[in-house]
Amino acid sequence: MSNIPLIQRVVSVFWPSFLTSGAATGGFFTLFDPLDLLHIAGLPDISRMGVYTIGFFLFWSLTATTCALTCYFQRPCHRNNGDVTRA
Amino acid sequence: MSRPSAAARRSTTSPPGSNDGDVLYAKHKKVYPRGIDGRFSRLRLLGMTVLLGLFYSVAWLSWDGRQAVLLDLPARKFYIFGLTFWPQDFFFFAWLLVIAALSLFFFTALAGRLWCGYACPQTVWTELFLWIERKVEGSRNQQIKRDKAGWTAEKVRVKTVKHALWIALSLFTGFTFVGYFTPIRELSVSLTQLSLGPWETFWVLFYGFATYGNAGWLREQVCIYMCPYARFQSAMFDQDTLVISYDAERGEPRGPRKRGVDPAGLGLGDCVDCTLCVQVCPTGIDIRDGLQYQCIGCAACIDACDEVMDKMGYPRGLIRYTTENAMAGLKTRLLRPRIIMYMVVLTALTAGLVWGISQRVPLELDIIRDRNVLYRETSEGLVENVYTLKLINMDDHPHPFALQVDGLEGLKLKLESPLIEVPAGEVRSLPVSVRVDPVVLTRPSTTISFTLRAVDKPDLSRTETARFLGPVTR
Repeated sequence: MSNIPLIQRVVSVFWPSFLTSGAATGGFFTLFDPLDLLHIAGLPDISRMGVYTIGFFLFWSLTATTCALTCYFQRPCHRNNGDVTRA
Repeated sequence: MSRPSAAARRSTTSPPGSNDGDVLYAKHKKVYPRGIDGRFSRLRLLGMTVLLGLFYSVAWLSWDGRQAVLLDLPARKFYIFGLTFWPQDFFFFAWLLVIAALSLFFFTALAGRLWCGYACPQTVWTELFLWIERKVEGSRNQQIKRDKAGWTAEKVRVKTVKHALWIALSLFTGFTFVGYFTPIRELSVSLTQLSLGPWETFWVLFYGFATYGNAGWLREQVCIYMCPYARFQSAMFDQDTLVISYDAERGEPRGPRKRGVDPAGLGLGDCVDCTLCVQVCPTGIDIRDGLQYQCIGCAACIDACDEVMDKMGYPRGLIRYTTENAMAGLKTRLLRPRIIMYMVVLTALTAGLVWGISQRVPLELDIIRDRNVLYRETSEGLVENVYTLKLINMDDHPHPFALQVDGLEGLKLKLESPLIEVPAGEVRSLPVSVRVDPVVLTRPSTTISFTLRAVDKPDLSRTETARFLGPVTR
């Protein structure tokens, strides 16, 4: 793992998640009008742009977490504790 | 699999900077592409000017009294010249994306990374930023020298000017970008009055920052680390794909020599090893090492090499657009099965999209059953079901609509007024009750249909079905 540049590691968490959250935001808000959602949830009025923005960042935080966990679990497992040098 | 050897070669070279462990920007070896003039550079400049010109100007075009291209997110309507798209038309957008992806595959199979070299926003804005950098900081050598030297007043001034210009351009780009999603004229008015909404401000800054970061700092690293297309484009290549290639047979062994000396006498090829092809490369690779996935196909090395070949009095084309087959002395086939397949599929999809859009009925009818009561019996002994109709007139003109209901004998429709007026581009909710004599009911649930038709334009109609519930008496 150490031979992968830091930039590539940062990118592999935040970039794919950015792309998929963009697609998810587009799909989600095509189906659901933010104003309807606010009305159903009984939330105070926020402009549609505001809901899109918040929605996008919620999706992004979710997808970025997934990417980060994937990267985390990709680290080599230690069969015998202390036997394997840390990656 | 008979994948060409080029694909294998392409993946063998590791990305620049990958050997020195943890590199972000600090340790990343900065690429200083040298400015170059030539056939392909001029073509690229032309492409860039057209594309940037379109991006910055189309937002200001008007059509029928409104912005010509406006993906109006706040109003949930997309205007593209004479056409209006609603969220219900999302299907067409997905279809368009499929066409765009296939076109990319088609052009890649035909002529390699044309998109990357000439049209990709990353390339176009990077070129623009590089142009500013050269205007402010001077030539490649001046830049390298200044960056190596310590901080002086002159260096601070030059760097400040460069970044100020970059940031101004980025902010303007961000503003224009947001102007495609909220009306740009209103946006510019609120900007001059310093009353830009918080979300709009945020996105102008966000997109501006992205432009500044991607075109100013990350540059070729976007292509190398972030672009998914760069990773899989080689799958579309075959031996007949146009690629930029160094003619090693002609060039090697490379080496410096004086002008006018016969290279054969020195045991040399045509490559004078001037390294100009490396210096002009925006991704910092050496094309002489073979085709690499970092190569974005910008052809700057061709221009650089041609210039040197001209000076040396050698024929041009030591580095040139060619195909693997041509390099091997074989014939290049332009029309091959995959090209024909792409063309057929693309034509069919495009025709389908045009047909689909032309057949669109700009009317939407949603029927929602009353959730509280299944049915009700009226004092006259009829069974009544209540629905809420949602009408969307997506046409550019208002229309009076007539509603008709079918599916059971003697269905009676109760409406507030016989004609329903819906203004252009408006949504209307309408409570409707339908009654029937229970003797006609043979099932507890019967499908009935509502037909909405514009009185002044009969082909503007829509039929939707709903369930009618009631007791079975027979």
